[in-house]
Amino acid sequence: MFYFRGCGRWVAASFIKQQFPLARLSSDSAAPRTPHFDVIVIGGGHAGTEAATAAARCGSRTLLLTHRVDTIGQMSCNPSFGGIGKGHLMREVDALDGLCSRICDQSGVHYKVLNRRKGPAVWGLRAQIDRKLYKQNMQKEILNTPLLTVQEGAVEDLILTEPEPEHTGKCRVSGVVLVDGSTVYAESVILTTGTFLRGMIVIGLEMHPAGRLGDHPSIGLAQTLEKLGFVVGRLKTGTPPRIAKDSINFSILNKQTPDNPSVPFSFTNETVWIKPEDQLPCYLTHTNPRVDEIVLKNLHLNSHVKETTRGPRYCPSIESKVLRFPNRLHQVWLEPEGMDSDLIYPQGLSVTLPAELQEKMITCIRGLEKAKVIQPDRVLLLLPRMECNGAILAHHNLSLPGYGVQYDYLDPRQITPSLETHLVQRLFFAGQINGTTGYEEAAAQGVIAGINASLRVSRKPPFVVSRTEGYIGVLIDDLTTLGTSEPYRMFTSRVEFRLSLRPDNADIRLTLRGYKDAGCVSQQRYERACWMKSSLEEGISVLKFIEFSSSKWKNLIPEVSISTSRSLPVRALDVLKYEEVDMDSLAKAVPEPLKKYTKCRELAERLKIEATYESVLFHQLQEIKGVQQDEALQLPKDIDYLTIRDVSLSHEAREKLHFSRPQTIGAASRIPGVTPAAIINLLRFVKTTQQRQAAMNESPKTDQCLRDADRLQERQL
Amino acid sequence: MRDSKPPLAVICTALCQARSVLSSIPYSYCQSRCARTLKIRSHVARGTTFRYTHLHRAPASLSTLHQPMEAKIFRRWAGRILRLCTRRSSGAPAPGSGATIFALSSGQGRCGIAVIRTSGPSSGHALRILSAARDLPPARHASLRLLSDPRSGEPLDRALVLWFPGPRSFTGEDCVEFHVHGGPAVVSGVLQALGSVPGLRPAEAGEFTRRAFANGKLNLTEVEGLADLIHAETEAQRRQALRQLDGELGHLCCGWAETLTKALAHVEAYIDFGEDDNLEEGVLEQADIEVRALEVALGAHLRDARRGQRLRSGAHVVVTGPPNAGKSSLVNLLSRKPVSIVSPEPGTTRDVLETPVDLAGFPVLLSDTAGLREGVGPVEQEGVRRARESCNFLATVVASVGAQSPSDSSQRLLLVLNKSDLLSPKGPGPRRDLPPHLLLSCLTGEGLDGLLEALRKELAAVCGDPSTGSPLLTRARHQHHLQGCLDALGHYKQSKDLALAAEALRVARGHLTQLTGGGGTEEILDIIFRDFCVGK
Repeated sequence: MFYFRGCGRWVAASFIKQQFPLARLSSDSAAPRTPHFDVIVIGGGHAGTEAATAAARCGSRTLLLTHRVDTIGQMSCNPSFGGIGKGHLMREVDALDGLCSRICDQSGVHYKVLNRRKGPAVWGLRAQIDRKLYKQNMQKEILNTPLLTVQEGAVEDLILTEPEPEHTGKCRVSGVVLVDGSTVYAESVILTTGTFLRGMIVIGLEMHPAGRLGDHPSIGLAQTLEKLGFVVGRLKTGTPPRIAKDSINFSILNKQTPDNPSVPFSFTNETVWIKPEDQLPCYLTHTNPRVDEIVLKNLHLNSHVKETTRGPRYCPSIESKVLRFPNRLHQVWLEPEGMDSDLIYPQGLSVTLPAELQEKMITCIRGLEKAKVIQPDRVLLLLPRMECNGAILAHHNLSLPGYGVQYDYLDPRQITPSLETHLVQRLFFAGQINGTTGYEEAAAQGVIAGINASLRVSRKPPFVVSRTEGYIGVLIDDLTTLGTSEPYRMFTSRVEFRLSLRPDNADIRLTLRGYKDAGCVSQQRYERACWMKSSLEEGISVLKFIEFSSSKWKNLIPEVSISTSRSLPVRALDVLKYEEVDMDSLAKAVPEPLKKYTKCRELAERLKIEATYESVLFHQLQEIKGVQQDEALQLPKDIDYLTIRDVSLSHEAREKLHFSRPQTIGAASRIPGVTPAAIINLLRFVKTTQQRQAAMNESPKTDQCLRDADRLQERQL
Repeated sequence: MRDSKPPLAVICTALCQARSVLSSIPYSYCQSRCARTLKIRSHVARGTTFRYTHLHRAPASLSTLHQPMEAKIFRRWAGRILRLCTRRSSGAPAPGSGATIFALSSGQGRCGIAVIRTSGPSSGHALRILSAARDLPPARHASLRLLSDPRSGEPLDRALVLWFPGPRSFTGEDCVEFHVHGGPAVVSGVLQALGSVPGLRPAEAGEFTRRAFANGKLNLTEVEGLADLIHAETEAQRRQALRQLDGELGHLCCGWAETLTKALAHVEAYIDFGEDDNLEEGVLEQADIEVRALEVALGAHLRDARRGQRLRSGAHVVVTGPPNAGKSSLVNLLSRKPVSIVSPEPGTTRDVLETPVDLAGFPVLLSDTAGLREGVGPVEQEGVRRARESCNFLATVVASVGAQSPSDSSQRLLLVLNKSDLLSPKGPGPRRDLPPHLLLSCLTGEGLDGLLEALRKELAAVCGDPSTGSPLLTRARHQHHLQGCLDALGHYKQSKDLALAAEALRVARGHLTQLTGGGGTEEILDIIFRDFCVGK
């Protein structure tokens, strides 16, 4: 039977609203009344919510299984969204009609664009978010999404059946078993359970398994995954203690005010819900030698730091900062947790010292001399996010001191770029389970997993974002071809084509594809993106065509620092490249064709950005084409690299290829240890296979790779 | 009529495309005429009012403004432009995408004929520039052309050239084959001339095959054979690269790459972490200083390399020694022509005289120098100074009797004792305490074979064995990437936009890592996290 546990009202409401039959009943004789869905999403975190809504937007009847409905949309760690690189991801999630950007535009308390002076390609949209508002808005959105059903329940096991012969993989997932023994069947299953495998919370020398106190964590799902042969690794992370707002002396600290006007995250919003003057400030303070002293003196009380589990190369905790960069002042940002929250999140003070020492350390810091650390409540301490009824870790409880977390993740080289696992057909992984860190990284994977789970059900080709198309593509390509040995975080420096993949043009890059190839984008958003694309193209053509001598430009726009010594005519587009020129001044100089492009502020700003990067992008396009050509060359999915004889490959290359199972020649060439010679041999193999297939089909097909290349060309801007 | 006018943007786009198509077909008659036509047309459209109606009227005015012949040509090109536009919109790969590549396709080392091949949209342009011809030869027919260096106009070789317009070519793109005489100097000269043509670059291993494959030009057996070849090519290039990297240039490149990677990492750190984490003051300024210094070093190196390039020869051999030892006689003997004036009088040669010769299969620049002595006239002293200077940067030194061995041992030294015919057959030989040496008589030619053999060994050590790989080829590649690196660094200076500045450094680093290997993003992140305390 369907098991609702306390949220039946909401679920039912959602059913009635959509006038949708209460889950199709399976006609199998063995389970006559078992509910059946297209897609099941396990986990209601940032990956889970995006995955569930994306699948529903694509038209799949979707079930979101979460341990507690009231934790959906919980911001379990820092109270902020976006940043440099992460802001890019959010724009891309939004371009695919994902949730987090829109919700952030309704829930922020401090909006700021980082890197304003460093060029629009690396602007980082960021906001402090009110946790409570975010959760409320997210739950409202989730529970009002058509085709999406939410159910409370913990998953105990997967239901596995015979694999489909036309795909690779040991077996196929066809549903889940809940902890109460009931079953739910589905065509695809997405696992977004965060740091769920063998999570351990560490404070000082104490270690607790991350599960409810007194409960023996059921490890059914974890065991199933291990039995299936998934390779796991271990990572660690941490979170700072929260400080009572009224115990901080803000008057002596550096105040940071929000932007005016606020820049919204979503392409569909003109502005955010709150006026700049009503927003909350952040404050900056610094550590000092006394903090170092406390950390260094008490290292013996700090098992998290001593453990050999690989932490990131970057400095996640105050301990690692002090150890690796001694005798320096480190920044501490004091961030509001919400409009009416009395808590402050000290960004940069992630710590695993025993609770009493944490407070001692914090009171050494300027402005925090009388700070009250919120003391742990033992009962609440180990409340987990328990979608799997197992060792699931929760950061979500606000009344914790700082603590460290150690957890298992599944090596992401075991999944394809569509986030489906190699081993189990129709099983998708998204979020922290793949070794990433951050809400935005999780959300980005969630959208892709949701879309692909849905496309898999309708037997359509997967929706893969290439490295040349978006940060999402870089994120997933890095994970699936290189794996990760530290919590993977997005940086703009990871992106080869950074100047093309900007926050301003994410809609042009992804919305059109999302609409055509995935069907996850609303008609309204699609039309807006189409209008924007054609307006931009038209504007650029017109700007290219207007040519005057440089002295004439100088007369028209006196403030431009153009050199008048050159006699060649200068295009308006080149004039727009100058820092001191914008569309407004250009339209004043040449009003006739240009005036109409200044009416829409966003259009004018985007034309200016396009002009800034025009010359470099011309060169980058060649490179992008090369990469796309390689990515159009698909490697057969069922190829067994270890035994295949037709390809001459070194043993090392075989093992690397076998583990990562790259889908294209492009991905294969990025795997370290795979030589150019091996790539050529693979190319030959692709060609052979194609010819053999063509001979078998006896149809005069055009070359597959060429067709794919054509498709890619079409996709380009 | 008015109802059917296309939108402004479409016309603008079409005209821009037309312009770019025309500018990609230089030198041809049609083009120059057509360009003029278009120029007039865009002139009409470019009036200050920029009236749409002007644009609309322009094509109609063509037929009245110009001769029928030109109108016909214009129509022909308009047809091509239109085809191009439609092809673009249908999504087929636009012709002429990608850079034009060139490489020595025949075996390396000395051979009768060497084949140099280019592939890509600028192939025809390159052929015209090298053969100084206005027209391309007939397609797929061998024609004899005098190739010359486009910069100096210096003739390189009389060669057979073949023009294969795409798609009926090996790679499916426009291709040119140059069948030149197989001397290393000629091959190197043609390669360097090609490298100087804008839009051309040396091919990476297997790149021709990749292109042929991408354009569906290879059948199975061909790919089979080529896979082996590419394996060999990659291996050879790797070995070549390793050998080069052992040398001085390799150390230089690695040092530069390291500096550049660090500078880039610091700029990247400033972009990714500059706002939220505290980086130390002056991160960017430090990077600026390092990039400037690198620019100076690269510029100096390239200017130096250009001097060698003018000579198009591998090694530099200098004959030096005391006056009247017979240095000039030796030079004349080795070059088999009277390069220097010889006389029994000491101090006849007062300047450095250079002559390119082929020594034991190696291209060599042979220098005769003034005898090293003190206390003579200012002209000869200057000659002596120059002689000493030339010894400082040259690879092989043949020293005649009594020359002091240069203090730094990076130069190779052969000690040759001339005038062996003056030794009485029964009398005492040269002094015992002399270092290893060769005996020679320029007068009788005795000992010449021994000297040539010794020179061959020395040159092989300097230039690499010509039978295993061509240092000339690698040098063209080096030069291409170093120049590319330097050009990119120039853009770094200009950019106020930090993302653009970082892009310039990325491109520059990309060129250097083509020579040194490595170059992943992880390297950058490693440096960022090593040098800065950044994180949550």
